[in-house]
Order: sequence, then C-alpha cells, then structure tokens
Amino acid sequence: MRIGMLKTLVAGASALALTLAVAGSASAADKPLYGVLMKTLSNPFWGAMEKGVEEGANKAGVAYFLQAVESDQAAEPQLNTCNTMLEKKPAVMITAAINSTILLPCLKHANELKIPVVDLDGNLDPEITKKAGVDVAFHIGSDNEAAGAKGADYLVSVLGKDAKGPVLVIEGLSGNITGAKRAHGFADELKKAAPGLAIVASLPGDWDSLKAANITNDTLQRNPDLVAIFCANDDMALGAVESARSAGKDKLIVIGVDGNSNAVKSIVAGRLNASVAQLPYLVGMQAVENAKKVLAGEKVPEFTYVPTLVLTKAALDAKSDPMLQYVK
Amino acid sequence: MSAVSSSPAVARSWRQRIFGGAAFRFESLLVLAALTAIMAVLSPVFLSFSNFFNIVLSTSVFGVLAIGMTFVICSAGIDLSVGSIVGLSGVVGAIATANLGLPWPACIVASLAAGAFAGWVNGFLITKGDIPPFIVTLGMLGVARGTALVLSDGVSIYGLPPEVVYLGQGRPFGVPAPVIILLLTAVVAHVLLIHTRFGVYAQVIGDNEVAARAMGVRVERHKRLLYALSGLLSGLAGLLFAARVNSGEPTAGLNYELTAITATIIGGTNLFGGRGSIVGTIIGALIMGVLQNGLNLLAVRPFYQQIAIGSVLVLAVWLDRINSKEGRRR
Repeated sequence: MRIGMLKTLVAGASALALTLAVAGSASAADKPLYGVLMKTLSNPFWGAMEKGVEEGANKAGVAYFLQAVESDQAAEPQLNTCNTMLEKKPAVMITAAINSTILLPCLKHANELKIPVVDLDGNLDPEITKKAGVDVAFHIGSDNEAAGAKGADYLVSVLGKDAKGPVLVIEGLSGNITGAKRAHGFADELKKAAPGLAIVASLPGDWDSLKAANITNDTLQRNPDLVAIFCANDDMALGAVESARSAGKDKLIVIGVDGNSNAVKSIVAGRLNASVAQLPYLVGMQAVENAKKVLAGEKVPEFTYVPTLVLTKAALDAKSDPMLQYVK
Repeated sequence: MSAVSSSPAVARSWRQRIFGGAAFRFESLLVLAALTAIMAVLSPVFLSFSNFFNIVLSTSVFGVLAIGMTFVICSAGIDLSVGSIVGLSGVVGAIATANLGLPWPACIVASLAAGAFAGWVNGFLITKGDIPPFIVTLGMLGVARGTALVLSDGVSIYGLPPEVVYLGQGRPFGVPAPVIILLLTAVVAHVLLIHTRFGVYAQVIGDNEVAARAMGVRVERHKRLLYALSGLLSGLAGLLFAARVNSGEPTAGLNYELTAITATIIGGTNLFGGRGSIVGTIIGALIMGVLQNGLNLLAVRPFYQQIAIGSVLVLAVWLDRINSKEGRRR
C-alpha cells in the first residue's frame, strides 16, 4: 500500500511540476536567450519595466526569461537566483540588483563566462563595481538626482520661491543608491530654489507604503504645519498621502517618484499631487535594445539616462505630452 | 544510555544504529529523489555538477540554521529569532574588521560570539524567566534585527577580509566552501544529537520533560545550552551569509526562521518535541533548495514558487502521518 501511495504521489508531483512549467516558462526556440533579474514584481513600477522588456524583446527578436524574488529586501535569494540563472548560460544578464554589493559574486562569475552584465535602473554603484573588478557593459536608468531635483522644482513652482515651512523627506531602503540619489537631488535643489523651505526630517521608508504612512503620522505630530512631503517612490507617497488626508491636511503637497499606475490613478483622482515619472517601460525597452547592440559588438554609452516627466493632474488631464505614451 | 529506540526488542540494523531510528523520515528522501528526477527531466541544465553545487550552496545558510533549529525543536521548543541573529552576527563581524580594523579572526569570533550570546539570552529568559520560547524568541527576533540596524545605521557594511570572504566564496577542491562548512556542521551535529548524552537529553526533554527531570537531567541548564547552540549556529550562518556577499547586511536572514522550521519538519523532527534527525533536516533543506533551483531554471514566476514550497511542506508531513510505523503521535 505504501508503494502504491508513493507512486500516486510521484505522479501527482510530476503533473504539478509540468503544469507549473507550462504556465511559467518562456518560449525559447533558437533565438538568443536574455536573462532578466528583477527585484520584486509586486510594485507596478517593476511590472511596467517588465512590459517594456517584453516589448523590447519582441522588437529585437530575442527571447528572454525573467525572474524576481519575493521582496526588495530578499538579498540572498536574489544572489541564489542570479547564480541559478547563469546555469542557463543566457546571452546577457540584465539585473536590477537590490543593492550594489549583493550580486557581485554572481556578476563576477558572469564576467568569467563572458556574459555581458547590464545594470538595470542604475542600482549598481560604478565605484563599487570597479573596485570589485566587475565589468558592467552599461548602466541604464533614470537620472535619480535629476528626478529628485524635478520634484523640488515642482514644489517650488506651486509654493513660490519665497515659501517658508517644514518639509518631510521619506527615503527609500537604507543604503540603496537609487533612493539616496533621489533624496539628495531633491534636498540640493530645494535649498537652491527655495531656501525658506526647510527639511525637518529625512527618514527611510524602505519603499513600504505602511512605513511611510507611519512616518507621516509621527512627523505631523511634531510639525503640524508641514507643507510638503517628498517620497523617494510612489508606494511610499501613496502611504504618506493617505495619512496626510486622513489627518485633515488637504493642503499638504505630496510628491512621489516613479509614475507607477497606482500613482497615476491617485493623481487623476486628486489625492496625490505629483509624481516624477521615471518611465520604467522605456527603461526596460531600451535596456534590451542596447543589450542587443552590445552583443553585436556595437558601442553603447556607459550611462544612458532615460528622461523623466513630472505627472500632475493638469498634465494627465491634458494628455498632450508625447512622453505620456510610455507611462504604463 | 544509547540512542532512543521505539521498540527495544527489535534488533537494530546498521542503518538504524548510525542514523538513529525512526525519526529519519524515509519518505522525505523519496520526495527529494522524485523532485530531482522531475527537475532533471524538465530542465536539461539541472543535472550538472555546477548546478548541484549551486543548489547546496543556496541551501547552506538556512541549512546551518535548520541544524540549530532541529536541536531546539527536539526539546519541544522553538527559536523564531534565528533569522534576525543572522543579520546581527553578520553586521557585528563586519564592524569588527571593516570599521574597527581588527585582524580577520576577529570577524569570525565576533560573529559567532554575537550569535551565541543572543542565543544564551534566549535560553536565560526561557528558563529563569519562565517565559514560553515562542514569546522570548519572538521578542529576540525584533531586538536582534533592531540592534543590527542600529549598529549598521541601516546600511550594509561592505568589505570583509579576504580570509573571511573565502569562507563564503572560496572553492577548495572545486567545492564551494559553504557546502563543506554545511556538511561538517551536519556531521558534528548528527553525532551530537544521536550519539551523545547532550543530544539524547535534548530529545528526552522534548518527549517528556517530567520524566527527564525524574531521570536526573538538569533540564533548565540543558535548555540554555540548546538555545545558545542555536544562537551559535545562527552566528555561523550569519558569517556565511556575510562572506557570500562580502558585506554585513542588517537585513540578512529576513524570514529565514520560517525556512529553517520548514526544513526541520519536512526532515522528520517532531514539531512538538522528542525525536529528531539531522539527516532528515538536511534532506528537508535540500528538498527546498531543489524546488527553488528547479523552479528558477524553469523560469516559473516567483509567486508560484511560494505556493509550491508551502505545498511540499504539507505534503511531506502528510506522507509521514499516513505511513507512520508508530502508534499515535502527539
């Protein structure tokens, strides 16, 4: 009876595995296979980037397989996934690393296997990769400092350069270069454009909307006259705006970065004030296009910055800007 | 008193003598074999030395955690803080060398000591404070993680001494160093659990604490040692993690306690205490590693992977319940 039961189980397990394989695997055929490693698919920002990769792959006539891990803090799982992806010997490894150091052993191995490495969305600090002896074919992303600066410019355009008041900055995951650059870009530009607006706190929200909501609540306790909140991504901005509005602060200006689909909905509904759209769709698409160029031996610039766009209710309602087609 | 057996009248085979009897869940080995076969068929890349080493490498950190967890669960306890201690010990080790500039042995000693200390605090609160292990280790989960974040100021501390990095990235004789460390730890732990009084007492305490006390086992002292051991092994896992990524990451080991518990249970150790098996735990860890690696190779979307892993846990335990040789289990 035991053997029979086990036989049934093995059969069941095979059926399950086959179903999953059919459901999940990318079609390969004889096209070159690109490996794409993301952080997590739960944020619509990355979902849009995935769509861009898909579009780019279709246009370039290449196949790709995409993997992600369960959260943007799952460091070792991302390293393990990277190692596993290399087993399939992809033509190129396009990675959105959780931080600059975590994937270095795997990327070194990719270098040894002569597989070009692409830094997706500027997560690899070039100083660190150079010091570790890892060769990155190119970095593509948005200029995060400029994105932060655009957020500051928007705020000043609304409040005026003589405005005075406390401002809250909610950063990304501690130590993450993207979040650090956005916060830094915002702070620098704000000091120059409107010295009366003082940043009273700059706290890490870890890309998490609930954390950002809690930080907003706590800061409003100390500074009930808060005039603006700048968040390093939309998820956090959406959390912050909920806290602000439920505390009755309707005049509080909340600005996010990413331009993800949830933020767009919120802006159109009049809740979130603005988001500096990073056009992840365009980033994903161009990453694949440039990767194909690298494989063909062409020269590609080391740093490619995809333009950003400030999304506000006015801009979204007018629908006139051609870049809006890349906002997914 | 030699290893615990269910029926003294039955002659013990050599297999039982070495592996310790019924706790080693044979069904799990079959599940592992079946999974390996399925993955090999579905993905041509699966069956290769480099992929095999990859699998064991990816299980090395939580495998070491699971070994410590086995001892604790045998004693009818639980340790929810192991994941956080991984983060804490990695950060402490990194600070010792990268920030304080101490020589490389300090990194190793500091990581292990941090882990052992945290584990000892757990044991102390559980025994002297008479607080349930679930609560104490749940508290330590927060305290250790928070301490790691405070000490590191939330950022990863990059750059460990090359001797330490070798522990995580070196390949002596072509085998990844963490794999060797995991195997050595498993062998030592197995001998400890099955063939020494230390291990046998752990199982006896979990099986029937009152009887253990009546036998003269110093239960409280033993429990403190068990949690210190779990902490020490968490420190080792933290050191391996840091060496693998060449930095002390305060967020290292997030949610690893659940993985460690899953591997231990799949392996055959009774969740409510008593019989335990290191061999089983390693098999349980490998099942999860094979599943993860295989699903990654097949490019299955990560959300399905989580469903698969949860299902395998329930499946493996269910297999055991319907095929159990013994009578009622608690």
